[in-house]
Amino acid sequence: MAASGQLPPGTELPSIRDLALKHAINPMTVSKVYALLEAEGVLERNRGKPMTVAKPTRTQTPHDKRLEQLEPHVEQVALAARQLELTEKDAVKALQEVWEKTDEQSVHRRTRPR
Amino acid sequence: MSSPYIAARGLGKSFSGKPVLADVSFVVEPGDVVGVLGKNGAGKTTLLELVLGFTPATAGGVQLFGYDSYRLPGAAKARIGFVPQQDELVNQLTAADQIGVISSFYPKWDDELVGRLADEWEVDLRQRVKNMSVGQRQKLSILLGLGHRPDVLILDEPVASLDPVARRQFLEQIIEVASDGNRSVVFSSHIVSDVERLANKIWILKDRRMYWQGDFDSLKDSIVRLHARATRPLPASLAFPNALNVQHDGTTATAVVQGWRAEMQAGLAQQLDAEIEVEHLTLEDIFLELHR
Repeated sequence: MAASGQLPPGTELPSIRDLALKHAINPMTVSKVYALLEAEGVLERNRGKPMTVAKPTRTQTPHDKRLEQLEPHVEQVALAARQLELTEKDAVKALQEVWEKTDEQSVHRRTRPR
Repeated sequence: MSSPYIAARGLGKSFSGKPVLADVSFVVEPGDVVGVLGKNGAGKTTLLELVLGFTPATAGGVQLFGYDSYRLPGAAKARIGFVPQQDELVNQLTAADQIGVISSFYPKWDDELVGRLADEWEVDLRQRVKNMSVGQRQKLSILLGLGHRPDVLILDEPVASLDPVARRQFLEQIIEVASDGNRSVVFSSHIVSDVERLANKIWILKDRRMYWQGDFDSLKDSIVRLHARATRPLPASLAFPNALNVQHDGTTATAVVQGWRAEMQAGLAQQLDAEIEVEHLTLEDIFLELHR
């Protein structure tokens, strides 16, 4: 949610303990997730304060890495299109139309559909 | 690196010459939550009793806080909490009196914690133990194990009689203990999903031995289900490395293998002249596959 912009930069995250309690999972698991997201630049650690969502620095991530992150989403679209018996052309056209309707701002406005 | 709370080496136990546990070694570090899995009779209870020093080992030994667990000094015993599979409550006492008896052994008993949990878990302190339901008794038994804020908490099937709400409350309490980072929990359970949620280390006992131990991620990476798809019929004598179960059907085959490493995929695909897909299993599936 942080990576997709649903949580704007600066949003405070629950403490490791609180998140572990909420989902009844081992705090070390939460801690590992936070550390991974921190290493990916999604979260920021603040001394003595809750972790926060970092400002997007995704342009610093190499292009091929970013493409790699996109792939599972594209795969979903391709699979859905095939299940609906649409052609590659239909799928590409649909993506282009949606692409044109969105801009930089909508990344931050976006809420989870469903 | 701090020294481990529990360290076992070559641990074994026989009853009248009949082995129930053989050659078990492990360490439990501060902050570890260990989930112990095994079928009935796999040796879980015996293992926990050896750690607690309730019974002497017939081979090897266990150190608890650096002491031989069978010869623990009182101060070390005060740092252990234990919730047995079958509670050891006194029927004639009320819950409050039962807590009073146990707490009198511990100089640093946390009345506030026990009172708060009794309230949250709806344990009626005025009720006599003999009038309590199995679930209520289990809750009381867990309270008694937590009350002195032990550094090492050992639980043998603690949730078997708890309803889903009580089980969740119990899990949350274990997370509280684990959040401390300096306390350890070792618990056996048949509820594999609880182990998956809570444990950072998993021990699987099988055939009286420690069949597997480590963190869940490495277990998941090591025991996987492979799907092979070839264009030509696969040979009947399929060579999957360390296969536990193989199902073979013409051009496709499925095998659960152990000791899997990601770099084996390309070689196997070439060897079988097939496309190999690796499926990662849940802990429950892994456990079931190991016992087929």
